[in-house]
Amino acid sequence: MSNWSALQNRSFLESNARARAVGLVDEGSFTEFVGPFDRRTSPHLEVLGEAVEFDDGIVTGIGKIGKTPVFMISQEGRFIGGAVGEVGGAKMVGALKAARAFAEKIAKDFPKAKEEEKPIVVISFETGGVRLHEANAGLLAHAEVMDQFQRCRGIVPVVSVIGSKVGCFGGMGFVAAAADVVVMSEFGRLGLTGPEVIEQEMGKEEFDSADRGLVFRTTGGRHKYIMGDCNFLVDDTIAAFRKQLAELGKTPRAKFAEFRRIGSPELVEKQLKRVALAAEMQPKDARDVWAKAGNADPAALGNAPLDDFRKAVKRLTV
Amino acid sequence: METMEDMETLLGQGRQAIGLIFDPDSFTENKVGAKTFDDPDFGPGAVVGTAELDGKPVTVIANDADAFNEKFPVVYAGVIGMEEAYKMAQAVYATVAADAAKPKAEKQAIVLVVDTPGNGPGKTEEIFGMNKATGAYQLALAEARIAGHPIVAMVIGRAISGAFLCHGLQADQILSLDAKFGTMIHVMPLTSISRIVKKDIEVLEKLAEGNPVFAAGPQFFYRLGGVEEIVPTIEAMRATVIAHVAEVRGRKANGEDDTLGPWGRGALGAERGGRTVRPEVIALLEKELDAVASKYLPGAA
Repeated sequence: MSNWSALQNRSFLESNARARAVGLVDEGSFTEFVGPFDRRTSPHLEVLGEAVEFDDGIVTGIGKIGKTPVFMISQEGRFIGGAVGEVGGAKMVGALKAARAFAEKIAKDFPKAKEEEKPIVVISFETGGVRLHEANAGLLAHAEVMDQFQRCRGIVPVVSVIGSKVGCFGGMGFVAAAADVVVMSEFGRLGLTGPEVIEQEMGKEEFDSADRGLVFRTTGGRHKYIMGDCNFLVDDTIAAFRKQLAELGKTPRAKFAEFRRIGSPELVEKQLKRVALAAEMQPKDARDVWAKAGNADPAALGNAPLDDFRKAVKRLTV
Repeated sequence: METMEDMETLLGQGRQAIGLIFDPDSFTENKVGAKTFDDPDFGPGAVVGTAELDGKPVTVIANDADAFNEKFPVVYAGVIGMEEAYKMAQAVYATVAADAAKPKAEKQAIVLVVDTPGNGPGKTEEIFGMNKATGAYQLALAEARIAGHPIVAMVIGRAISGAFLCHGLQADQILSLDAKFGTMIHVMPLTSISRIVKKDIEVLEKLAEGNPVFAAGPQFFYRLGGVEEIVPTIEAMRATVIAHVAEVRGRKANGEDDTLGPWGRGALGAERGGRTVRPEVIALLEKELDAVASKYLPGAA
């Protein structure tokens, strides 16, 4: 592992799961749980004669940013595309459950704890969802993670971080959206159905999965920021993500409900206005929606340097 | 008219299944608590309403495989699109709101009649966020379950991957008609898995006898704790759903919520020998946190 300072200016996109986990929290503060030395490998991959990883492709642990305890879950896209199986899923569920218990302990034993001393959960997503080699166990794990998300609400905030190569798709695409906060880089991608499957369903004329620009306009960080599906759009460095997480660590916990896009009857009504807009517009391209949001020159906006984009962009208010 | 004995499958017949499960002629579509669904073109692939089950009112959420959503052409054959998922979420929240003042033991049950092949896989869906719609429905179900509403899912046809996560896997307990009725529970059929993991289907079928984690079918989910009970006949569905609603209500009254829902299915998966590593991993993680937790508490250096 290269030293912590060197990690900070490294591209988040290019980093691996452990570098992200270690670099997102303060130097020397990270303790890994069920790490490679525990060798909790997938028994199901072994049965199929597939290679295993000693961490099953998910790094879990705890660190600190300033005074804030941070429960970290970081998925590794280089191992079977970051797909989630029984062991990795259990690590996610276990970390969320432990974070909740930890937050409840602080609330009980440290009634005078400052906001920034209360924990947050950070999940760096890099996954297409279910690991097909152990598909049924992976699917059941997804439901457990979602259940834990609901149980964490009002107790410990959950932050989705998306800026990896694989992006965040399949079942994990809705898990990420169900968090309190979503932080992305412009290279992060978030969705449910991957580009190839859309092409297969709709035909190449409607959606060409080889068109990288189209793929990014549909699911990338800039688009998700315009849609309000991503709360914060940060530069592609570990330091930039870390800075945003540090601010969230100091944010009053009661404020986190305001970041949400789903999770209440009121938010469902708000989203339904957008679904009505989708039906009315039948957009050919995400740029149609950017224009609808008040961006006069969507093509230029998409190509502008990120700083200019952030200054100039108008986000959808429907 | 077809009698129950003649039916070999309920696949694609969500509305007929409602007639078989609930009290005769008791289903009122498009009304849940104080909420009415007045637009017939809104989320037609989702059937929501209130019925009586053994004389007690229950919220019903089902799929309509015959409906086609004109506004979102990828939504047909039971696909859950954006409108469908939010409509289902509205039905859940309306159930929760109607019983907000009632004690836990009196919360209205919700029965999910499951027959869905997927979530809307379109470009518009991705632009506007299909992931949010299905996520919203799951959060609503989890909220209702935790609030005390007994939720039982009855798989009558297809319960496929993300659509099963959306409509089924947040229930307290999941029942499935036997595979002989054409029920399908899977992420992908074994033929596709065979292609992706590059193993002959015969090899996978042989392996599946000893390990249920990748094969398609309710019997494999049963061994993983993902399905509570396999219902052997169409006739038995009604009595089994009634029994499980009562069972769930009883467990909630006894404070045994941990034996229900996704978490309870984890324990059941270990008990049935299908998912034995999961609890070990969770316990190890908790143990390792305990060893260092004091370093991360307020005031620690």
